[in-house]
Formats: sequence, structure tokens, C-alpha cells
Amino acid sequence: MIRKFVGAVAAALAFMAGLWLMIAPFALGTQPENADWTDPTTSEFFTGLGVAVVGLVGVAAFVAAIHEELVVRGLVAVRQKQAEPEPEPVAPAPQGSSAELASLLAPLVEALREDLNNTGRGDHRQNGKPALVGVEENR
Amino acid sequence: MKAKLGVSALVVLFLAGVWLIAAPFAVGYQPRGAAYADATVNDLWVGGALAGVSFVAIVIYAADALRELAGRGKHVADG
Repeated sequence: MIRKFVGAVAAALAFMAGLWLMIAPFALGTQPENADWTDPTTSEFFTGLGVAVVGLVGVAAFVAAIHEELVVRGLVAVRQKQAEPEPEPVAPAPQGSSAELASLLAPLVEALREDLNNTGRGDHRQNGKPALVGVEENR
Repeated sequence: MKAKLGVSALVVLFLAGVWLIAAPFAVGYQPRGAAYADATVNDLWVGGALAGVSFVAIVIYAADALRELAGRGKHVADG
């Protein structure tokens, strides 16, 4: 654990050193204003940029390693992501409902068709009873 | 794995420190025999500190890892 902490501190110091290297030519005045970058400026700036980036990577890596070790030791609890509620399964539509409906309505449709056919032939049905449509109209 | 990445970063930083010490003479902005320029002095100090800190960190890391290994070996021998 302590070695990772030492590594993180060293990497953080290196990160700050990299930032200093990037601004040093301008801060110390070795880079003339309004002029192309000199060799020392170019060298220091890009070296500082690389040092800063590597230092940042080192800090992140050591901090992640420390966190991992703390989790393994049980000193840090990992926050569990709340599981999103699963959508309730939609009940499948009853199979054959339209077929059942058709079979239920078939006698009714047949009776209506028969009624309509008989209406054209006369006011009375074949079995002697008055047509239902006529009865309804007479009410 | 993450610690290995960190150690690799320390090694790269150590090499960068060495490069900073050598840069004024390698790039050629420090004339030979002349007094050190400001950029040279800055590079030498920052490079020396960077290399030193990285080296010390690597040594401490290796020493602690060895101590842990030795401790494990002791437990195995006792068992």
C-alpha cells in the first residue's frame, strides 16, 4: 500500500514539474517575445508536455491501484449500480380469439342473412312466425 | 496491473529526467566552456529532481515488494 502511495506522490510531483517545464522559457525570459521558439524553448516545452502527461497517467494508475487494494481489503465499499426495473412482460394476446368470435357470431350472421332473404319473399317467415325486423319496426 | 502501469510511468519519468539533464548539451543550446545559460540551469535542476524522485520511488516500490515477498516466503517456511 505504502509503495503505491509513494509512487502516486512521485508521479504528482513529476506532473507539476512538467507543467513548470512548459512555462519556464516564458517565465524565466529565455524565450524572446514575438519571436519564433528557440531550441531551448521547444525542447523544454515538449519535454514538459510529455512529463506532465506521463505524470498524470502515473497518478491515475497508482490511485486506481490503491482504490483496488482498499476494496480487496474491505475498507472501501463499492457502490452498486441500481438495477433498472425490467419492463413487465406483456401478456401474449389470446390465440384464436378472432376465430372463436367468428364461430360465435356465425349463427347470428346466418340468421340475419336468412331473415333478409325471407323479407323479400313476404312478410311472414317460413315457420309462420312474423319476421323479427318487422316486429321491431312495428314497436 | 494498474500498479504496473504506474511503475512504467515512473521509469519513463526517470528517463525523461535523464534526458532533461542531457538536453542542453545534446540539442546544443549550451555552448561548450561557457557559463551555464538560464535554460541550462533550469533543465539541470528540474531534470535532476525528476530523475532523483522517480528513482527513489522506484527503489521504494521494489524494496516494499521484496519485503512482501520475503514475508510470504517466511510464512511458507514456517508452515
